[in-house]
Amino acid sequence: MCFYLTGEIFKIISPAKSYNLYLSTFILTLSITCIMENVLPAPPIERCAHCYAEVKNDDVYCTNCGYPLKGSELDQRSFIANNEIVHIDIAEFHKKVRSAGNTLYYLSGLFVVSGIINFFILKNNPNVLAVVIPIFILAILFLALGGYSRKQPLACLVSGLCLYIIVQAILAFDNPVNLASGIIIKIVIIGYLIKGIKSAIGLEKIKKENNIA
Amino acid sequence: MSEAEDLEIPEQKPCVSCGASIDPNNKFCKNCGTRQSDEDIHWLEKKWTLLKQASLFYLIYIGLCTLSRFTDTFKTIPWFLFLEVVLAGTAVIFFALNWAENKQLLIWRNFSWQKLAAYAAIAITMAFLVHYSVNWLNITVFSRDDHYYSIFAGSKGASFLIILCTAVTPALFEELGFRGYLLQTLIKVTDKEQAVYISAFLFAIIHLSFVSLFWLIPFALFIGYVRIKENTLWYGVFFHFCFNLTACLFELL
Repeated sequence: MCFYLTGEIFKIISPAKSYNLYLSTFILTLSITCIMENVLPAPPIERCAHCYAEVKNDDVYCTNCGYPLKGSELDQRSFIANNEIVHIDIAEFHKKVRSAGNTLYYLSGLFVVSGIINFFILKNNPNVLAVVIPIFILAILFLALGGYSRKQPLACLVSGLCLYIIVQAILAFDNPVNLASGIIIKIVIIGYLIKGIKSAIGLEKIKKENNIA
Repeated sequence: MSEAEDLEIPEQKPCVSCGASIDPNNKFCKNCGTRQSDEDIHWLEKKWTLLKQASLFYLIYIGLCTLSRFTDTFKTIPWFLFLEVVLAGTAVIFFALNWAENKQLLIWRNFSWQKLAAYAAIAITMAFLVHYSVNWLNITVFSRDDHYYSIFAGSKGASFLIILCTAVTPALFEELGFRGYLLQTLIKVTDKEQAVYISAFLFAIIHLSFVSLFWLIPFALFIGYVRIKENTLWYGVFFHFCFNLTACLFELL
């Protein structure tokens, strides 16, 4: 009887037991997985304190920006200070590019004025349009180059400089005296544009190196 | 770094400064913090030198083109041909300065008749549009300038010379100079997009006709784009040739 009972109980219990066992194993596995994933994370993802790029535990320097991860506080501060200098450089380049862009606007205005003056001088000449229209086309071109120089500084400044030199060459062939008139202004304009071109090259390069859009 | 290590992890490369093996995609060495850049530190001087060289090329072009346009010296056939030879020589010399790299542009990869026909069709359509719009502009606003054709008027084989001097030589040597030398140099100074813009604008304004800019700039932008896309000069040369030939035939027929 007893035997039978135990047997029966066993019969009743054992499936439940095995079920329980199965369940508990499952819970255990689950909790271990949970612990593995959340509670006790495997090495945490380390990020660079300067650029927030992912870095490995044993990296001495950040592989994205060169920040001294394991360096002393002094090292890290001097790195940040140097980086500030890069930003000062960028600001300086920006300033030069901007003033070169403004030179293009200034040239545009100059051509508008000269177009208007020419129009009134040649008002009774049948070829008035042939003279005035190219001048206004130049004014529009310089205006467009100046406006677009905010977006693509190098292309606009190089184009503007070449256009200006061609105009001066044409004027000089037309009458050599033209070359000498206002020579200081011409040199200043060309100087600003050349400085702007040099800064635009520097700006592109620095931005590319430091991941600045 | 031992050889065995090298074989095990082929995607590693040594740091330019300390020699530690690092991931080639890393911008800085994880070990010593040195910037991993293929370009050397004198980049600004190098790019500036390239730009100065390009401006020398362009200044020669400006000088010769304005000289031929605004003086009467080059209005005779021998002098005109001499000028053409000098311009062609300039383009060839500058192109040959960096021969090792530029010769790649002369290789015609993926030659395709379909593409060639398509470019010819675009060129001829464009020439028609330009011819009629320029004629309209010239008649309504300006007096005509028959610079090219008046030189050859009355000489033997005039039409042959006109086709040679307006369709064949400009197509070949302007492409060599502007899409070959100039564009290739500018790509090293700036990105491709800006390089195409600059070369197109410079090409357009060297024609010294401010009214023609409205079609010259799109024309040059298109050839510049084709040159970058196809990585060969020849489609551009063919396009330019078809365009000029159509324009030329308008005058001759």
